[in-house]
Amino acid sequence: MMALGKRSLRRRLLTVDLPMALVLVFTLGPYLWMFVTSVTPESRLFTEGPSLVQATIDNYTRLFRTVGFGDNLLDSFIVAAGTVVVGLSLSVTAAYSFSRFSFRGKRVLMLQFLLINMFPLVLLILPLFVVMRILGLLDTHFALIIANSTIAIPFSVWMMVSYMNGIPRSLDEAAMTDGCTRLGALRRVVLPLCVPGIIATGIYIFITSWNEYLYALTLGGQDVRTITVAVQTLIGEYEVQWGLLTAGGIVGAMPATVLFLLVQKRLISGLTQGAVKG
Amino acid sequence: MTAQDHSATGPARAEAGTGRHKLGRRVLPYAMLSPAVIVTLAIVFFPMLQTAWMSLHEYVLFRPDDFTFIGFENFVTAFNDEVFWISLWHTIIWIGITIPAQVLLGLVTALLLNQEFPWRPVARALIIIPWALPSVVIALMWVWIYDSNYGVLNDFLLRLGLIEQAVPWLANPDTALGAIILTLTWQGFPFFAVMILAGLQSIPKSYYEAASLDGASTWQQFRYITLPGISGVLVTSVLLRTIWVANSFDVIFVMTGGGPGYATYTLPLYAFVKARTNLDFGYGSALAVLFTMLLMVIVLLYLRRTGKAVE
Amino acid sequence: MRQKTLGLAASLLALTAGMASAESTVRFWYHFDNADNPMDELVSTFEEQNPEITVEAENIPWNSYYDNLYTSIIGGNAPDAAMVKMFAQPRLIEMGALEPIGDRIDSWEGKDDLQDNLLELTVAEDGSSYYLPVQYVVLYMYYRPDMFEELGLEVPQTCEEFREAANALTRDTDDDGQTDVYGFGFRGGKGGHDHWASFTLGREGADLTDNIESEAAVAGTQFVVDLFREDGVFPPSAPNDGFQETIGAFKAGKTAMTIHHIGSANGMVEALGDKVSAAPVPECGGGRWTAYGDESTAVMSSAEDKDAAWKWISFLSEAGNNALFNEATGQLPVTKTDRDEWSLHPKRFVEATAESLPFANLLPNRPETSDFVNTVWPVAMQRALTGEITAEEMNAEIAELYSE
Repeated sequence: MMALGKRSLRRRLLTVDLPMALVLVFTLGPYLWMFVTSVTPESRLFTEGPSLVQATIDNYTRLFRTVGFGDNLLDSFIVAAGTVVVGLSLSVTAAYSFSRFSFRGKRVLMLQFLLINMFPLVLLILPLFVVMRILGLLDTHFALIIANSTIAIPFSVWMMVSYMNGIPRSLDEAAMTDGCTRLGALRRVVLPLCVPGIIATGIYIFITSWNEYLYALTLGGQDVRTITVAVQTLIGEYEVQWGLLTAGGIVGAMPATVLFLLVQKRLISGLTQGAVKG
Repeated sequence: MTAQDHSATGPARAEAGTGRHKLGRRVLPYAMLSPAVIVTLAIVFFPMLQTAWMSLHEYVLFRPDDFTFIGFENFVTAFNDEVFWISLWHTIIWIGITIPAQVLLGLVTALLLNQEFPWRPVARALIIIPWALPSVVIALMWVWIYDSNYGVLNDFLLRLGLIEQAVPWLANPDTALGAIILTLTWQGFPFFAVMILAGLQSIPKSYYEAASLDGASTWQQFRYITLPGISGVLVTSVLLRTIWVANSFDVIFVMTGGGPGYATYTLPLYAFVKARTNLDFGYGSALAVLFTMLLMVIVLLYLRRTGKAVE
Repeated sequence: MRQKTLGLAASLLALTAGMASAESTVRFWYHFDNADNPMDELVSTFEEQNPEITVEAENIPWNSYYDNLYTSIIGGNAPDAAMVKMFAQPRLIEMGALEPIGDRIDSWEGKDDLQDNLLELTVAEDGSSYYLPVQYVVLYMYYRPDMFEELGLEVPQTCEEFREAANALTRDTDDDGQTDVYGFGFRGGKGGHDHWASFTLGREGADLTDNIESEAAVAGTQFVVDLFREDGVFPPSAPNDGFQETIGAFKAGKTAMTIHHIGSANGMVEALGDKVSAAPVPECGGGRWTAYGDESTAVMSSAEDKDAAWKWISFLSEAGNNALFNEATGQLPVTKTDRDEWSLHPKRFVEATAESLPFANLLPNRPETSDFVNTVWPVAMQRALTGEITAEEMNAEIAELYSE
């Protein structure tokens, strides 16, 4: 038994831990390099190059104290979280409809969602800007939530359809014969089963709107300024504020990473608990 | 399993219900769809039609009063425009390499993350960092990495003795597109890892248990259980990601601005430069419309081949 | 959050104060290389003096500044006033976005305090004034007086003297067989066209748009290529060096001369103390050429309260305030008073700037110029420096761009 355990451990180390470590080196290398840059004093950066010698957190304190990055984080968070809520709730119902019914125009409607994502955003900005101005929504979180939702909805709908198709129809039909309504079946049976899908899609929406720049720049302004716009102001006409920029990147990646860390357990449990297993 | 027994008769019974029920069944799908459809129509579709209309005009933003109908002239100009063809070719290479690379790396990562090992939660969280970073930061970071004086990549390769002198990766037309593709692969593979991982989670463990009882090899298990299990997610995410990557130009824009020369121009970037920098909305719109149509053709072909996604 | 609350408090104050007189808001767009948000102080001083006006100053990212400005103008939501550069003026005028402010300038008491010629430099082709200068820089040459003294050299006045000096300054100071000081830090990457232009465009018979293929112009490019390939007086990384690298190398003592404007003077003094000074760029082929960096403010034609917008932008160009503004940007004030009392930069750099002003130029105001700056010049220069193409071929590529 002992020998077997050892061999399987070595096997695991070779086939799982080692490749995983390599992937992580590739993944994190640039991020760590960025971190080193962010703690290198500005005066040394272009003479000695980035290093941990004389490391300083100056850039981080400047970022929050004088650049006002805290406000930007809050704005980004409101927009991203709002987009997740709006995007998910609109697309889950739509996806259920696509997955469980056959009706006229289904194919066209699904392709319509794709088409929306195919058009280069830059040309939509001007008309959208005018619409938002007329509605008086410029420089509000709501404008960005709606705009980002349109980027997110097509993806979410398609993603959720494929998750829902993976759940046997017989389950919700059974629930309905047991006295549930359609919506009841959606809520009690289908939704709990697509939790991993919903979480993955939610993360996608969150990250997409967290990183969105063009809409944030055009539709935002004085009151709503997301981190992508704030980070961009660090790239000046004559100089790039490398230290602040990299510090902003390090901080900017945190929320999504932490969020993922928090929800990933749900991603795992998903189908293994509940009806399917039984 | 009772659910299985009901599956044949269940819907039939529901259909045969009262008239009210029937009507509900006909209206319900549309009712559930309408919020999403209405929002997207209002925010995207309407501006899109407006843009399509603009593409038939000579329309330069800084001459707002000069809005002349010129039919398909912008499209003819595009077909005779060398830069259009260069950009198209780059777009094809760009998608053709980036997406498979992202999928492959993402698949490997997802399979690894689906194994049991002690630091799995940490690995799972860390893996999405590249994807969680703002594109602007990523682009600048990689410019910094590729830098021929301070860049860590040249430093690394020089130390390994793989190159003899620092290579200006982004300044050299031969390496610039490749360098950007590597950056995009790095940025995008976590997306596939997360998506595929979620797909892997939905495959019941009992399938694997049964298969190994039957003596199936690891490869056979992968081929006959894992792949079919994630194919739905894979087909959809490849489709959506292709559209997304094809359309995203922010990383290129920041890294090279399309240069050196036209070495890293892609169609959306070209449309962006025309519309936003040169303010030529007529021509820019025409490029955007052309690009969307080309993409649509590819998507339809893809859907026909894979067949299942729209069912 | 604090800022927003302050802003809210300020607008409440303005609201109560505004009961008596007409109350209005000026939306102002600007871009700063300084990330520490120095505009707040100016805004609050202004609002104290003009309680009926609220200023909403918005810092727009530089690389999207003009895109965003154009979009907002077309979209009907333009700011009331904005920071603007000369290259954008023809377009903005064509869009009808600018308010002529010639009369206002004439009746403005600050006019006489503006430095000579600045208003003439910013006048539009139609003869009207739309721009009010707010800051400027001129490129000049930084050099190491200690190294010049050590080698008994004079500051070069011509290209020939420059070449001799650069060769003498390129040395192996510690006898390890490696060159460790180079004569000149050349910027071969994006933005380095100003270096090349100083060696090329001043020559008689050389003009960027009209005859860049002339013998004189090719001689200028050849001069640059020879300095690198024949003489080896630039660091080997020169083809890719950008602003940070050239300035960094100079501060670190790896180069003895380079070209830049006053914006980097304080950083240099911090690193080198007295061992850095400045002089105008050398005369090459019978003329001098250096780059002028302009920045003005303008009132937009769509502004609701143009008087308030004018009040705000003229406030920025008045003695005292203008000094404060330029302390933030690190450039030079446009008022005589502030220039005379200017203490942010050591005098020698301010003087070098003033001496360079007579032959300072803007790049031609043509749509191709942005391609020249962003793609054509860097690519051609890099290839010429690495020997892929000749000086003639490089100039031919530029000529092709402008002939389209």
